[in-house]
Amino acid sequence: MAVADVSEIHPGLERAETPRRWRTLRVLVRKKIAMLAIAYLLVFYACGVLAPLVATHDPKSQELTIEARFAGPSSEHWFGRDALGRDVFSRVVYASRTTILFTLAVLLTGGIFLGLGLGLLAGYKGGWIDTGVMRVGEVLAGLPTLILMLAITASFRTQINDMAFSLADNTWLSVEDARTFVKFVIIVGATVPFAWVGSARIVRSQALSIREQTYVAAAEAMGASTRRILIRHILPGVMPLFIVGLSAGMAAIAGAEVALSYLGLGIDEPAASFGNLLNDVQSPYTFRQHPHLLLAPAIPVILFFYAWNLLGDALVDILEPRANHY
Amino acid sequence: MGPGLLGYLIRRLLWAIPVLFVISLLVFYMLRLAPGDPTDTLLRQNYTPEAAQRLREKYGYDQPIHVQYWKWLSNLAQGDLGVSTRYPDFTAQEVILPKMWTSTQIGFFALLITFSIGIPAGIYAALARGTFLDPLVISFWLLLDAVPYFVLIPLAQWVFALQLGWVDLSYDGVYSANMILPVLTLALPAVAGVARLMRASVLGVMGEDYIRTARAKGLRESTVVFTHIARNALLPMITVIGLSLPGMAAGSLFVELLFGIPGIGREAFDAVLAPDFDVILALVMFGSFLFVAANILVDIAYAVIDPRVRLGEARG
Repeated sequence: MAVADVSEIHPGLERAETPRRWRTLRVLVRKKIAMLAIAYLLVFYACGVLAPLVATHDPKSQELTIEARFAGPSSEHWFGRDALGRDVFSRVVYASRTTILFTLAVLLTGGIFLGLGLGLLAGYKGGWIDTGVMRVGEVLAGLPTLILMLAITASFRTQINDMAFSLADNTWLSVEDARTFVKFVIIVGATVPFAWVGSARIVRSQALSIREQTYVAAAEAMGASTRRILIRHILPGVMPLFIVGLSAGMAAIAGAEVALSYLGLGIDEPAASFGNLLNDVQSPYTFRQHPHLLLAPAIPVILFFYAWNLLGDALVDILEPRANHY
Repeated sequence: MGPGLLGYLIRRLLWAIPVLFVISLLVFYMLRLAPGDPTDTLLRQNYTPEAAQRLREKYGYDQPIHVQYWKWLSNLAQGDLGVSTRYPDFTAQEVILPKMWTSTQIGFFALLITFSIGIPAGIYAALARGTFLDPLVISFWLLLDAVPYFVLIPLAQWVFALQLGWVDLSYDGVYSANMILPVLTLALPAVAGVARLMRASVLGVMGEDYIRTARAKGLRESTVVFTHIARNALLPMITVIGLSLPGMAAGSLFVELLFGIPGIGREAFDAVLAPDFDVILALVMFGSFLFVAANILVDIAYAVIDPRVRLGEARG
């Protein structure tokens, strides 16, 4: 037990490292705003995951009659119906599923694989890996993100049908599902290159300082492998700030999908996304006529962004009571 | 401004050149290798494979990419950013610059409002730390930050144009009453970020020894807050202000789209959909250049204002 030995020599280390995570959790529970935010996020994620159970209607079934089109909220259709007579509540529920899938995909690839992985490697290994990762990050940070995301999605959208048909031929996916899947891959691919730099920087600077700790030197002296040192010794110290960075960035990641879908470059009809739902109301005149078409998707998605913002803010406040310098 | 600053400046400028070069190479290859070229949108119903081929020859898209890139680069060295395929009579600069100027003016007023609300709000929240007012101030602005532009804008237009009739929805140039709404929708959601950073900065300064000294000397609280805390806490805001300057020139796609403002955000969107290669590249190069320039400006500002800062050493 290398860690225990070292912390006996440096009693301060023990206090600083291990119980700190529990203290964070305790302080977080005391923050009422943060708990409200977490509660809302749990409901949102539950709705998305259990979408087929929560939705009251088929989100794609249309009814093109005068009574059904643009019908306001009723006991049958809680959030009313859209231009094609579809149930807006069910579409909102499925839109939350789109948001969840997208954020999860970006988190796994851009956040954990690239952000955490490259950050750890750069911070611990240093040398040319560090230089390389940081220089690439520097170039990416200097790029106008929105233009490039639009350019990537727009150019690959011309290929959607080709890719979807070959995917449908070779897998069990239907053509429509394959098309949605391809669109998903395109927007994830357009977001990830710009989504990892921030968290990689946070992880790197943390890893740099932890690398100098005595217990890492002890583990190295005992011949632990790089992988073991990274996972057992560096990762636990990096995690708190990494999670803070992620939760502060979640709203922006989810917002990228919503914005792209709004512009017709992301997930589009008939699949549901907050972006394409909100696109139904582009002018105040439409809003005056059919307020439910804007409010029904807007309120859940605004609260989703707000909850992540509040949670990120609370975590930053807890972990960095003294201001961070820039 | 010592000799260290000059040397540092030269080194930073020299380092900016390879960064901009890599960016141009990356984006150029990405645009040319990605499926789709401008011929479809240019020819529309007149599309024939022969006509498309003639167009490709005219613009040089039929040549190998490295040849195209070299040509673009040597034109750039002479200050020529290429031609727009959507407006055949205009160069890329002529398309971009007037619209960028429109966006910059709007962005400037928005930024002015953002900081003149955000900085006092952040100071207030920091001084109110421990009371319910601190989270209340920050949470209020965070809520506004969570509202997407395309929700905020129809709502604001409905309230202020249709219900109250204070403004109307047409675009009458940058200096008209109708611009109040776009400038505010651009400015207010950004307040949260500024207020949060300012609050953190003030909290950091409040823990310093010289603040305790100032209080111990028996200075009035207002003197301590305004001359000791606020002034020193403003120092890190130079970074925030400096790095938000390039955003002014980038415009905002949604604000311009939904308010009908002929700015650079919309121009970029149209260029991307066409795709108008040279205009996209010019926009990317302008954007990256402004970003690099803003970074250097921030560093210089620190060196001039704060004598403790020595340039050339790594900043965190």
